Amino acid sequence: MTRSLLGLGMLALASMAFALALGSVTVSPADLWQVIQGEGSTLHRTLLLDLRLPRTLAAFGTGGLLAVAGALMQVLLRNPLADPYVLGLSGGAAVGALLAMLGGMGTLIISGSAFAGAMLATVLVFGLAHGTGSWTPSRLLLTGVVVAAGWGAVITLMLAITPSYKLPGMLYWLMGDVSYARSPWPAVVVLAVSVVVIMPLARNLNVLARGPMQAAALGVSVRPLEWTIYVLASLLTATAVTTAGSIGFVGLIVPHMLRLVLGNDQRIILPASALAGGTLLVLADTLARTVIAPEQLPVGVITALLGVPTFLYLLHRSR
Amino acid sequence: MVSRRLNSRLALGLLIATLAQLILAGEMQRCAVDDTRKELCLSAPAQRIITLSPGATELMFAAGAGDRVMAVVNYSDYPPAALELPLIGSHTRVDMEALMALGPDLVVTWVTGNPPAQVELLDELGVPTFAIEPRTFAGVSSVIERLAVLAGTEQEGFAEAERFRIGIASLTEQYLSVEPIPVFYQVWEKPLMTVNNEHLIGKVLKLCGGVNVFGDMQRLIPRISAEVVLQADPDAILTGSVDGVSDDQLDEWKKYAGLTAVEKNNLFFVPASPISRPTPRLLDAIQTVCEKLENARERL
Repeated sequence: MTRSLLGLGMLALASMAFALALGSVTVSPADLWQVIQGEGSTLHRTLLLDLRLPRTLAAFGTGGLLAVAGALMQVLLRNPLADPYVLGLSGGAAVGALLAMLGGMGTLIISGSAFAGAMLATVLVFGLAHGTGSWTPSRLLLTGVVVAAGWGAVITLMLAITPSYKLPGMLYWLMGDVSYARSPWPAVVVLAVSVVVIMPLARNLNVLARGPMQAAALGVSVRPLEWTIYVLASLLTATAVTTAGSIGFVGLIVPHMLRLVLGNDQRIILPASALAGGTLLVLADTLARTVIAPEQLPVGVITALLGVPTFLYLLHRSR
Repeated sequence: MVSRRLNSRLALGLLIATLAQLILAGEMQRCAVDDTRKELCLSAPAQRIITLSPGATELMFAAGAGDRVMAVVNYSDYPPAALELPLIGSHTRVDMEALMALGPDLVVTWVTGNPPAQVELLDELGVPTFAIEPRTFAGVSSVIERLAVLAGTEQEGFAEAERFRIGIASLTEQYLSVEPIPVFYQVWEKPLMTVNNEHLIGKVLKLCGGVNVFGDMQRLIPRISAEVVLQADPDAILTGSVDGVSDDQLDEWKKYAGLTAVEKNNLFFVPASPISRPTPRLLDAIQTVCEKLENARERL
């Protein structure tokens, strides 16, 4: 168990080293070593410390956040198709960000507004699903999906009535790309803290995954636990979306991939998701900026191109 | 009247150029204000320039500093020399590493075309940036002059700006008294989009005596329905295409034989890149549009 986590950790470090070493400008290993020692030319320092390092950390943080949020949502909703965006969080964030852009705000306020939008979406879905009666996963899922469709309509409406000169900025935001990340720290810190917070709950999550009745019978207080997962997953997704826009696929595929290989034990799956999600996005982003350099690809293309065959292979093998 | 005004402008231009020479002699800073009203001062003429839009590339060449442009983005296809320059990605996704590796001392950005986060990153890394996006004829000549100041090529740049000003003035005078005709300019076919009078294309139409049937609409590039085009019944329909060669973009209208523009065979194609980029090539675009509208008038 710990061995597989250790292995994933090594992979994560290797992927980061790979990301730092590779770019559209070639930096030799000797130069790389010089920069690590705090020397090296100004250009090499800029390339590595100001461009590659923050971007790599942002990619790792975002990927990790999305994968953990996806794993939590799948347990919460007991639905294998759940991903971090299924309840309309990215839609809320997008509406927040686009509103700030319409108002001509700077990037900092746009990020803040995106985060506020994501949190509003969370509260809205939770409040509506709570309603007058029961709070079942299927009710939560249905509410979320319909609210997400509502956000989608609002986004389309905003794009349709926005002055054309503001459109490109909005489209960049909607596409989602690590290169637009301003600072990696929120993603990295939230990821680290949330994994530490969630680990003590992992055993209860295992029980919950078998169904709420069984969990209640085994002495788990189901309602507060579900509530905690929901808030935490929302917070993770909101941070990820605020950092790099809505990057699809990672949150859906990474937890499933890990379950196929490691089994469905949340004590392993959650930290493994953080490591594997981060690794996948770091690798994908490195390829996105180097494959056809100087042309830059959107990272979502690469995550899907890497993830789809890997996932299908694992699924095929698993029977 | 017009020529006297031009003379005074020329004199002013020369005065500025002379002042600029003095500035150079005193090794003082060269300063210019960009289209976001941010002032940029360089201690020496820019020698290593990177342009982040096809329009900026064209304007930099027009300013006489084409030989200082080290790298450009995709679709920088004019002048032909720009095609030889190395690429550093597209205007939506700039390869920041490649850009930094070239060590530019001036990066000309596009106000609404480049991702704001990437431009901010350049500012943080201490790369001098100058954001441009002319939206008027006067803005085109002004931006050429400002780029020339930054590059220290005032002589060529100011002359080119003046040539553009004179060109606009003489075309304006030439088409001042032509008969106004209602015109529809199709920016895009599906969805159907046009321009209002604030758009540079709208200004070109107006100069040529075309009355833009959607000129009063509020948005710069309004999305409209085919119905309102039929209702407006323009005398001519124009659209941009590669090199102005006829293609199928206007075929949809041929279904409506009752449209005056269709009946009189007034469906026209103009070269897309000169009319959609705010550069000196606008003069060619205006010439073409005005000639097409003249044809249209004859056929009415």
